[in-house]
Amino acid sequence: MRRSRFALSLAAGLALAAAALPARAADPKVLKIGACLSLTGPAAVYGAQQKAGLLAAVEELNRQQYVPGVKLEVVIEDDASTKEQGIAVYQRLIAREKVAAIIGPTLSNTATAANPLAQAAKVPVVAISNTAPRGITDIGDFIWRVSLTEGQVIPGALKRAQAKLGFKSAGLLYGNDDAFTKAGYDVMRSALDGMGVKIAGTQTFAKPDRDFNAQLTALLAQKPDILVVSALVENAAGIVAQARQLGWKGPILGGNGFNSAALVKNAGPAAEGVLVGTSWNRVSAEPANQAFLKLMAGRGHEPDQFCAQAYTGVLAIAHAAKLAGGKTGREDVKGAFSKVTDLETPLGKFSFLESRDGSHEPALQQVRNGKFEIAQ
Amino acid sequence: MSIQQLVNGLFVGSMYAVFALGYTLVFGVLDILNLAHAAVFMAASFVALTLVEALGLSILAALPIAMVAAGLLGLVLERIAFRPLRARADSNIAGLISSLAMATILGAIAHELWGPNVTRFPFDTLPNATERLGGIVSRMQLTVIAVALVLVLALTWLVQRTRLGRELRAVAESPRAAQVVGVNVDRAIAASFFISSALGGAAGILYGLAYDVHVEMGRSVELKGLAVIIVGGMGSMPGAVIAGIALGVIETLVVAQLGGSFRDVVSFAGLFLILVLRPHGLLGAAATREA
Amino acid sequence: MEALATFYETYQSTIAYVGLNALLALSVYTTLSCGQLALGGAGFAAIGAYASALLTLRAGWPFPAVLLAAVVLPALVAVPLGLPVLRLRGVFLAIATIAFGEVVRLGIVNWDYVSGAEGLVGIPQKTGVWMIYLALALALFVLGRLRGSRWGLALEAIREDEPAARTMGIPVARYKLAMLVAGAALAGLAGALEAHFTFMVAPSGFGFEKVVHMLVFAVVGGSLVHWGPVLGAALLTLLPEILREVAPRVGLEPGPLRQLVNGVVLLLVILFLPRGLASLPLRGRARRARWVES
Repeated sequence: MRRSRFALSLAAGLALAAAALPARAADPKVLKIGACLSLTGPAAVYGAQQKAGLLAAVEELNRQQYVPGVKLEVVIEDDASTKEQGIAVYQRLIAREKVAAIIGPTLSNTATAANPLAQAAKVPVVAISNTAPRGITDIGDFIWRVSLTEGQVIPGALKRAQAKLGFKSAGLLYGNDDAFTKAGYDVMRSALDGMGVKIAGTQTFAKPDRDFNAQLTALLAQKPDILVVSALVENAAGIVAQARQLGWKGPILGGNGFNSAALVKNAGPAAEGVLVGTSWNRVSAEPANQAFLKLMAGRGHEPDQFCAQAYTGVLAIAHAAKLAGGKTGREDVKGAFSKVTDLETPLGKFSFLESRDGSHEPALQQVRNGKFEIAQ
Repeated sequence: MSIQQLVNGLFVGSMYAVFALGYTLVFGVLDILNLAHAAVFMAASFVALTLVEALGLSILAALPIAMVAAGLLGLVLERIAFRPLRARADSNIAGLISSLAMATILGAIAHELWGPNVTRFPFDTLPNATERLGGIVSRMQLTVIAVALVLVLALTWLVQRTRLGRELRAVAESPRAAQVVGVNVDRAIAASFFISSALGGAAGILYGLAYDVHVEMGRSVELKGLAVIIVGGMGSMPGAVIAGIALGVIETLVVAQLGGSFRDVVSFAGLFLILVLRPHGLLGAAATREA
Repeated sequence: MEALATFYETYQSTIAYVGLNALLALSVYTTLSCGQLALGGAGFAAIGAYASALLTLRAGWPFPAVLLAAVVLPALVAVPLGLPVLRLRGVFLAIATIAFGEVVRLGIVNWDYVSGAEGLVGIPQKTGVWMIYLALALALFVLGRLRGSRWGLALEAIREDEPAARTMGIPVARYKLAMLVAGAALAGLAGALEAHFTFMVAPSGFGFEKVVHMLVFAVVGGSLVHWGPVLGAALLTLLPEILREVAPRVGLEPGPLRQLVNGVVLLLVILFLPRGLASLPLRGRARRARWVES
C-alpha cells in the first residue's frame, strides 16, 4: 500500500515535470540585463534618472516586442556610490543573476574598478554615464559605451560658440575633486588652447561647495570674454545664478552637467542665454527623441541626459540581440554591438565606433525663455 | 583683497558660524560631538521648503516652525542616541557612532520623503534685488546675515542671562556639581539639544535660502563646522562665531590670492597647525586639549 | 559543489573587502588600544595605495617589494606626524589627524602626475584574497601576542590612566608613537592591497567618510580585544550584501530604505552591546561558566 502510494506520487511528479517542460519552452526567451546604479549616496541624483530611463526602455521595448520572441528583463542594484559595493554588484550580476549584459555603473571611478571583472568573465558592459577618457572602453573588447566622452562634445561646442560669439579670452571654472568634471576641464583647456583662445584665469571648487562667489569674483576681475564651466548638475545652477548676481553679463558655457531641467528650475531667470554643450539634444525633432519625450511625459518623469542615455543603453543591447537573430547569450550580444550603426535613439543616430565608444551628433543648446533651444 | 571678496567671505562665514554655534553648544555641555548635526541641518531645510512650497507659508512663519521641528528632532536624537550612553565610560566615542547612525537614518528618511534631486526655495521667498555696498550684495544675503546676527545675540542672551543658561553652564562645568546644587541635569541636557538642533536647523534653512536644498547638503558643512568649533575653543560660543566668520574670510582670501585648489588645503593645514602650535585654541578655556 | 563555486564567485569581492576593512579597523584599534583616538587612517591608506600603484605602474617593482614600501612609507610619515599631535587629547587628536588625512587627499586631488580626481587606472590585479587574509592573520597574531605581555600591559595602563602610567615610569610618548606607526603601516598595507585588487585608486576613496567607517568598524566590533574590530568590519561589510540578498524577498527595493536598515542595525549594536560584538562570545562564555558552577 505504502509502496504504491509512493509510486503514484512519483508518477504524478514526473507527469507534472513533463507538463512543465513544453510550457516553459513556449515562454518567450528572456534577455536579462543587469544594472549597477548609484541609487543612494552622493550620485543618487543621477542614479534616479538612470533608473527611470531603464525601466521606461524595458517596458516600452517589451510592449513593441522589439526583439521578436524575446522578453527584456532588468535587475537593478544599488552601489551606494561606492566602488566597494559596485564591485560586489558586478560579481552578483555576473555569477548569480547570470545576466546577458550589464549597464552602468553610474560613476567613472567605480567603472574603472568593476569593468575589468566583466571583461574577465566575458560579460558585455554598456556604460551609460562614464565619460572618463581612460580606463573605460580601453579595458577590453567587452566594454562599450553610449555616453559620449567630453572630448567628443566640448571641442565642437566651443568652436560653434566661438563662431557665434567671437570670444578671444575665457575664464575657466571646474570641480577638481570629481573624475567627470576634471576630465571635462582637461578637454576644455586643450580645446581652448587649440583655438588660440587666451585663458584669462582658472578657478576650482569642490563637489560639496555651494558658494562660488569667491571664485567667480576672482575670475570676473580678469575680464574674460566668456565663462567656461565644468560642473556637476548640483553645482551648475548655483554657479550660473551667482555669476549673474555678481553682475556678469557675458556668455556662460557649460558641459553635460548643465543639461538638466534642474538648471533652468534652480537658476531661474539667471539661466537665460546659458550655452550647453551636450550629448543629448532634448529639443531634437527626430521621431525617436519625440517618442522618448512623450513616453517619459506619460510616466510623469522629466528626463535629463542621464535618463536618455540609460534608455539608449537598453535600446542598444536590445538592438544587438535583434541583430543576433534573437539570441541572448553574452557573446551573441557582444558580437552584434559592432553592427549597431545608425540606430534611431533619443540621442540621435547612434553607432558604436571601433574603439567601442559611442558616436552620435552632439549638440549646442541655449536656454531661452526658460527652455533649452538649439543655439543658432 | 577687494571689498567684494570681503563681502563674499563674511556671507559664507556667517553660515558657518550659525551652524557651528549649535554644534559647539552640545559639545560644550556634554563633551560629545553630535555627528547628526549636519543631518538636522539638511532635514530642517526640507521641512521649511515643504512649508513654503506645499502650504504656501511665508518664510517668516516657516523659519520658526521649522526651527522648532529641528529642535524636536534634537530631543529625539538626545533620547535615542545619547541619553542611553551617558553612563558609559566611552560615552564620547560611542556617542560619535550612535549619532552617525542617526545621521544615516535621517538621510535615508529624507531621501525617501523628498527624493535625491537638488531643489530650491521659490524665487520670491526672499527679496533678491542687489545693492552696491562697496561690493555687490543681494538683499537675500543681507537678510541671511541679519538673521544670523539675531540668532547669535539671542543665544548669547539665553546662555548669559536666563536661568536655563545658568543651568547649562553649570552642567557644562560639572554635571555632578550641577545636580548637587539642584539643577535637573536631564532637562538641561535635553534643552541644550533642542537649542543646538534648532540653530543647526536655522543654519540649514538659511543655507537653503541662499543656495539650494539637497539630501547631501550636510556634506558642505559637516567637516568645516567641526574645524570651526575646534579652532573656536571647546564649547566657546563667541569662539565658534569668530572662527566661523574667520574661516569664511580666509577661504575667500585664499581663492582670491592663490586659487580655489589651495582653499581647503590651506584651511586644513591651518587647522592642523593651530591645534599643534596653540593647543588652547583661539578663545578656548584652560589647557584641556593636551594630555 | 557548483553552488559553492557560484557562491564564491558572487561574494569573492565581499570576502576580500571583509579582510581589507578588518585591516583598516585594526589600524584604528592599534591607537585605541592605548586610549588615543587617531583618525589619520584614510591618509595613511592613501599614501600606501598611491605609493604602491606608482611603484607597480611607473617603476615596475615586484609585488612583494611594492607591499613592503606601502608598509614602510606611511610608517615613516607617521613619525613626524605623531611627535607633535600625540600630545593632543581626545577629540583634538582626532581632528588634527583628520586634518592630516584631508591634506593628503587634497594633495592627491591637485597632483596632475597621478591624474588628480580621475585616479590611477589599469593597475594589474596582483592581490589574491589569500594575501589579504594572510596579512590579517599576521596582524592578529602580533596584536594577540601583545596582550598580556609587558608591552600590552603598558598600553592598557596608558589607556586606563595616562598620568598614572607616566608616574609609574612608562615611556608613554614612545608607546603612543609606536602604536600610531603600527596603525599607519597596517592602513598603508590595506591601501596597497586594495589598489591591486580593484584595478584602480582614486582620491575619492580616502575622504572623511572612509576614516569614519574605519572607526565605526573598530568600535562596533569592540576595541577592548584585538579581534573585536575584525568582527565589526565583517558585520558592517556584509550587511549591505545581506540586505541585497534579503531585501527583495520582503519587497524592499534598492534605495534609501536599505540604507535606513543599515543605520538602524548600527544604532542597535552601539546601544545594546556596549563593548561591541566582541562581547557576545565573551558573554556566552561567562554564562556557560556560571551554569557550570551552579
